[in-house]
Amino acid sequence: MADLLYTELLKLKRAKMFLVSVIGASAAPIMMFIAYLNMKSKTPDEPISFELSFYNTNLNVLLLLGPLLYGVITAYLYNREYVEDTLKNLLTIPVSRTHLIVSKLILLLGWILVLTLEAWGLTLLFGLLGGFEGLSAAVLVQSLTEYLIGAFLLFLLSTPTMFITFWFKNYVPTIIFTAVITLGSVSVVNSDFKPLYPWAAVHVITINGYLPQYPPVYSYLAIGITSLAGLIATIVYFKKVDIH
Amino acid sequence: MSSIIRTTNLTKLYGTKAVVDDLNVHVMQGQIYGFLGRNGAGKTTTIRMLLGLIKPTHGEIEIFGESLYTRQKEILRRIGSMVEHSGFYENLTARENLLINAKLMGVHKRNALADALEIVGLQHETSKRVGQYSMGMKQRLGIARAILHHPELLILDEPTNGLDPIGIKEIRKLITSLASERKITVLISSHILSEVEQLADYIGIIHEGKLLEEVSYEELRVRNRNYMEFKVSNDNKAAILLEQQCGIVDYEVHDEGHIRVYSQIGQQGRINQLFVEHGIEVSKITVSEDRLEDYFVKLIGGGTIG
Repeated sequence: MADLLYTELLKLKRAKMFLVSVIGASAAPIMMFIAYLNMKSKTPDEPISFELSFYNTNLNVLLLLGPLLYGVITAYLYNREYVEDTLKNLLTIPVSRTHLIVSKLILLLGWILVLTLEAWGLTLLFGLLGGFEGLSAAVLVQSLTEYLIGAFLLFLLSTPTMFITFWFKNYVPTIIFTAVITLGSVSVVNSDFKPLYPWAAVHVITINGYLPQYPPVYSYLAIGITSLAGLIATIVYFKKVDIH
Repeated sequence: MSSIIRTTNLTKLYGTKAVVDDLNVHVMQGQIYGFLGRNGAGKTTTIRMLLGLIKPTHGEIEIFGESLYTRQKEILRRIGSMVEHSGFYENLTARENLLINAKLMGVHKRNALADALEIVGLQHETSKRVGQYSMGMKQRLGIARAILHHPELLILDEPTNGLDPIGIKEIRKLITSLASERKITVLISSHILSEVEQLADYIGIIHEGKLLEEVSYEELRVRNRNYMEFKVSNDNKAAILLEQQCGIVDYEVHDEGHIRVYSQIGQQGRINQLFVEHGIEVSKITVSEDRLEDYFVKLIGGGTIG
């Protein structure tokens, strides 16, 4: 598995996708900062806290940017083997189909964590540049924990995207799927069903924002079942499918 | 000579259409086996089944005397393959692409990558990204990848596809030298007869998923020799004249006074004169222009091989 992971990392060498994703991940903190600058120009006396800045950036990452960006990365990791016609080589080495899926999932987790830390770091940097208030060790630890939990839960929810990628062997259905997911999140974010919709439940768990009618187990189950279903479907499908 | 590949009633159905139909292929150790057929004949599907990429609908595959289904991992480690056009990570160099295979195959020999690149003549192009490679260079790199781990069996699916004549010649030379120097058994598929003709010592012809013929190249040559055919009034006398006056023993007498001569092709004028001088009426002379290609065309029922 170590060799497989090494080769997965090697495949990213000189790949423009990593740079594109880094630029993409910076969008949420940059947009938030611009919004705060705008607010500051209108109400200069109103203080802006680091806590709120971290919260709003993470909200944007978890509900809007994350599912889209991580979906594209997931599609890239798996679909490139079809696009570049390298899958037949890997499988005749032979590499186990399950190991191939797992190694890419580990790489995906690492990639998502790097982008999450980037978003967190940029939010901190912009806060310092903008003179935001209330910076403390507690705020930093709390926000970092929330970012990392959110990233991990979104990673778990990458499996349905992975399945769609394997099924259609094309970027377009995957992008449509992630767009639909994102729209779903936006639709339910202010409703009572938020804890039940897996991609919105990520935010609920991250900020501990449960509703009385839906205990935490509902949100965990929503994410767990979706993730497991995506993983099982992918493995079953990929183990059966002919490689043309 | 032991059997390296043996398929038994190998079949692949897509819906109700049999793309590969009850195929029984036998490749023996040390052979260069030419798998010949038109585009869409079922060659690639067969090769993909041999490599475990496509699951057969039914039938058995034995490689190195063992079932592919029970020992797939162990068997594939002894095979080097190139299926159609070689796929590479175009953002990586040739060396980095080979490194992926070396890592995953457990090839730790220090010079393995350099050796493989040198064999295919790419030793001076190692730092160039594969995306900048020509088709011929990619095909050669595909072969380097296939031989990196010193396989006992090389399976190459249309390795000269898309290459210019010089590239084709280079690949052909490479395959021949690999087979003779490394004693590798080679299965090579092609839709170009001349390609297979110059490489293979055994040929399997596939058409519409069925194996029409599996025969040694030598036998095919004997079967498809050029000849002159004379329609004569007295075939007994003509035969005696051929033997006694021309020293020709390589001939066949067919019915209705047809005599087919397989040697001294081009001497039909002299032979005709000899017959006439001895009172034999010659009503027709035909010089066969059938080549191996015509034979294959007849075998698959018209059209062309390609």
